[in-house]
Amino acid sequence: MDWTTIRLLYLSELRSALRERSVLINGILIPLLMYPLMMWVMFSGILFVTARFESFASRIEIAGLPAEHRGLLERLEEDEGRIEITEIEAPPAGAATAYREEVENRLLAGELDAALIFETTGDPPGNAEVSLLSNGSSDQSQTARGRLERALSAERSAWLDRIAEGHGLDGAEWQVFDVRSNNLATGRQMGQFVMGMMIPLFFVIMIANGCVYPAIDSTAGERERNTWETTSTLATRRIHIVAAKYLYVATMGIVAGALNAAAMVLSFRSFLGPLLARIGGGDGSGFAFELPLSSLPVLLLTAVLLGALVAAAMMILAAFARTFKEGQSMVTPVILLVIFPVLLLNDPSMTFTPALAGIPVVNVVLLLRQAIAGNVLWLQLGVTVLANAAAIAACLWLASRILRVEEIATGSFEGNLFQFLRQKLRPAGRKA
Amino acid sequence: MSTVQVEVQDLTKSFFDQSRGEIKAVQEVNFECRGGEILGLLGANGAGKTTTLRMISTVLQPTAGTARVLGHDVVSDPVEVRRNLGFYSASTALYPRLTARETLTLFARVNKYPAERTKSRVEEMIERFGLGDYAGARIEKLSSGMKQKVSIARTVVHDPPVLIFDEPTVGLDVLNALDLQKAIQELREDGKAILFSTHIMSEAERLCDRIAIIDKGRIRATGDLEGLRAATSQHYLEDIFVHYVTGNDTTE
Repeated sequence: MDWTTIRLLYLSELRSALRERSVLINGILIPLLMYPLMMWVMFSGILFVTARFESFASRIEIAGLPAEHRGLLERLEEDEGRIEITEIEAPPAGAATAYREEVENRLLAGELDAALIFETTGDPPGNAEVSLLSNGSSDQSQTARGRLERALSAERSAWLDRIAEGHGLDGAEWQVFDVRSNNLATGRQMGQFVMGMMIPLFFVIMIANGCVYPAIDSTAGERERNTWETTSTLATRRIHIVAAKYLYVATMGIVAGALNAAAMVLSFRSFLGPLLARIGGGDGSGFAFELPLSSLPVLLLTAVLLGALVAAAMMILAAFARTFKEGQSMVTPVILLVIFPVLLLNDPSMTFTPALAGIPVVNVVLLLRQAIAGNVLWLQLGVTVLANAAAIAACLWLASRILRVEEIATGSFEGNLFQFLRQKLRPAGRKA
Repeated sequence: MSTVQVEVQDLTKSFFDQSRGEIKAVQEVNFECRGGEILGLLGANGAGKTTTLRMISTVLQPTAGTARVLGHDVVSDPVEVRRNLGFYSASTALYPRLTARETLTLFARVNKYPAERTKSRVEEMIERFGLGDYAGARIEKLSSGMKQKVSIARTVVHDPPVLIFDEPTVGLDVLNALDLQKAIQELREDGKAILFSTHIMSEAERLCDRIAIIDKGRIRATGDLEGLRAATSQHYLEDIFVHYVTGNDTTE
């Protein structure tokens, strides 16, 4: 191999790419700014929802509230957010249906958010059938319903306690058994579990996104710009040209992944972690989002493995494209093939076994998840590196064979990889 | 007389088309070109000029026959062929996001021009082709005339003994076309062996030392203008061309 020539061509491709806006945006800016941007969107969203919640008053009507349940009104007033309660007498027996219809109409018209209708049923005093009416298609009505349900549940428990006490029983006796749940995971473990589900998806998308434009640009783009023939006349072997192009595409994927990993660690450690912890509870019982610095080397390794593999696969498919548009449709299956295992592996019961470490892409995702949890399984890591290296070598071998075919190199082959393979595998007698 | 730089013997190229079957684009073509000589390939569109030149430049592989550049075979030794060759055509565009200087440096280095002399050679090319004010500008920002100058400069920057110009004046205005013809004449004076394809008679008449008339993939005649005139009893190249291509005498 003539590494001097490969280096010259590689640097030229890289220099050229860094002057292209799409490459800069997809390969550098998006991976780097994704997490800060996500933080900004989340923060704005939280502010917006909070402000909306604070300015909004639930309009509630309560009909026939028994004297025993006056505490319900206090509970509603104590609940977070503003509330407007209209209390009316129970409608006379003959007018109950008409009243209910009238309430339903007001709910559907948005004049009211929720209504409670009490119908007392006799002993013990306060015993009643309660109808809670709301409009499921309205966000405000759903919120009002939630507030009523919470207040009603608390009022019901308190009333039952009072009745039990009247019969000489305490709460524990009439409830028969009491359930107390206890989550043994620490906030940090819970945070890492959630991140392990979420981050690999973004990471894989970023790497694939970083490879797409360079892969198409260096193959179909060259044909479209008429520079492919210029490159073909350079005094070097075709394999050197392919090697330089591959290294360029892989570099862009790896850079996108590495930048994304670095931005991810920094964002989670500095501001995104504390912000998400507030959402999770923030009182120590919620999530603690921390990425250990020790996970960074593994994150970078996964970026290299995945970038190198995705670049090789995309170049095989993009080699058949004659225009940029054709290239886009040809590399889309690679993006789907890479994202699919991430979605599939969102099953938390999945364990990273040495056998799974032998499956490219799947192994990288599981390795990444382990790294986020602060674990390194050395055997699995070794198998992952070997399996991906073998897959990359196979892809590059196939790419070099494909680009040796004159019709493909000159762009006169009309078809894709599968049509090409079908043609090559057809019995000799049936070949054109 | 200079030595033979390009030898083409029985060069043949066939393509397969789904609907039309086997197409013989070039059939048993023979010619040679010496240093300090411009050999014109004169033919109509689709006659086989570009396919022939693409085989010599190793972009396409011959189906049969041989082509040698300074003794290097285009099939068995393509890298050495490309090293001794500069190929210019309408379909060999420049990298739009590189500057003229970067392009020339890249072509000089990859085509194995001595590294220690690359910088001075690139500056020499920039001066020779009047690119001084634009050498640092990206190719995509240049006018078509300037692009064409950069293209010639990148074709010759590694100082190859053999040059191929495939319909180089297509799409150029008169002044730029004349500039290019002048540059090609200067390169001949430098001792280069030049293969020049065109379908424009006046261009062939003005530039070429010898002309090979190609039609339907076959060479119909080769010789200098005087020889072709004598052989056909025609004065104008246009009439000579029609004589060989159609077999009809156009003189009254």
